Amino acid sequence: MAEPVIQFDRVCKSFDGHPVLRDFSLSVERGEFLTVIGRSGCGKTTALRLVNGLISADTGWVLVKGQDVAQADPVALRRGIGYTIQNVGLFPHMTVEKNIAYVPSLSKSPLWKGEERSRRAAELLQTVGLEPDLAGRYPRELSGGQRQRVGIARALAAQPDILLMDEPFGAVDEITRRQLQDEILRLHQERGITILFVTHDIEEALKLGTRVLVMEEGRATQFGPPSALLSSPATPFAAQLVRRSRDFAPRQ
Amino acid sequence: MELIQAILALYRERGGWFLGLLWDHFLLSGQAILLSGSIGLLLGIFIAQRPRLAPAVMGVCNVLYTIPAISLLGILIPFTGIGNKTAVIALTIYGVMPMVRNTYVGLTTLDPDILEAAAGMGSTAMQTLLRVKLPMAAGVILAGVRNMVVMTVSVAGIASFVGAGGLGVSIYRGITIYDPAMTAAGSILIASLAVLLDFLLGRVEKHFKKYGS
Repeated sequence: MAEPVIQFDRVCKSFDGHPVLRDFSLSVERGEFLTVIGRSGCGKTTALRLVNGLISADTGWVLVKGQDVAQADPVALRRGIGYTIQNVGLFPHMTVEKNIAYVPSLSKSPLWKGEERSRRAAELLQTVGLEPDLAGRYPRELSGGQRQRVGIARALAAQPDILLMDEPFGAVDEITRRQLQDEILRLHQERGITILFVTHDIEEALKLGTRVLVMEEGRATQFGPPSALLSSPATPFAAQLVRRSRDFAPRQ
Repeated sequence: MELIQAILALYRERGGWFLGLLWDHFLLSGQAILLSGSIGLLLGIFIAQRPRLAPAVMGVCNVLYTIPAISLLGILIPFTGIGNKTAVIALTIYGVMPMVRNTYVGLTTLDPDILEAAAGMGSTAMQTLLRVKLPMAAGVILAGVRNMVVMTVSVAGIASFVGAGGLGVSIYRGITIYDPAMTAAGSILIASLAVLLDFLLGRVEKHFKKYGS
């Protein structure tokens, strides 16, 4: 069996004495689309930020491609991992093209010089379903959905084989969100990258994930394919989650 | 009316002298502006990276800022003598405060999501500073520069009390020989220089604010 791409081994993490992750273990296989679902404060974002070393574990290990994150050079590690967050964090003083070319430009990639940069940025814009002529615009001139797409293009620019996404579609309207979900599904199928996707929307978790991880109070309480979560939820919280996904309760 | 006519007469008769003073004034404040601009910027960046030092550094700058200009010049004379050197040092000490404050505020009030993205994508601390933080804080920092430039140009007007050159010479001479027109003529040129520089820097600031945070 292949080595897992991302591995958590009995990780504990507290903030100001308040435990956020308790004895958390997880293995993510290459090419997997793992969605992580749970309430606010259940530790899902913390788990994600441990992968690219934005925070470090109190005890236990996080391994990325077999390498201990605590021992790795954080800058080199992060350049190989795409990262998108809910509020995107596009640089307001850079054009769309410069935003997309940011990571390659950090490592002074020769593939992203001059005209090559425009060509590659245009290509990525098309990949995420945007018109290439947006390249010269500034982020403030874009809609929320367009910004999310540019954020994804930026995360893909250095051709990472791992993509970390922290509620990336949380701030856009329902219709745009469905479109973005379809795009990311397509990207995952085309590129075969490993995606770790944090969400609080069960519908999104079930639609996107090859496997779904349910987290409650810093622990992984259920981990398996979406069908298993639907057919046999392991905890009352999981049951509540999937029940909500099946029936609507219209206001009387 | 008489005063205005007297001022105009002065400009006509002694235009060359005033132009010389204006140029000296420009050079004198220019030196102080370059010095306090770079010292203030570096100090502001330094305390933005080490927030624990910020209150102490800002406190010292504030205290220096509140010393009346004329007394600061007087205090410096025993150490640095009279002349342009003392004036430049005093003006630099003054100008550091608005620069430090604006640089610090500009760098510490940036959108945390953008900084999170910058760090998460593998920027080094230096890359984050040069490519993300400083360009985004540029609008606020430039407001500090503008503030400092106008202040330096006007405070430089009293530098002739310690034997420095510039338009202060005509102000001081006007006071000592009781010639209000001479004093006013120098002051008007100082004010014009300050307004002109303020206008030019305002244009630059506007450009950066547009694409800043």
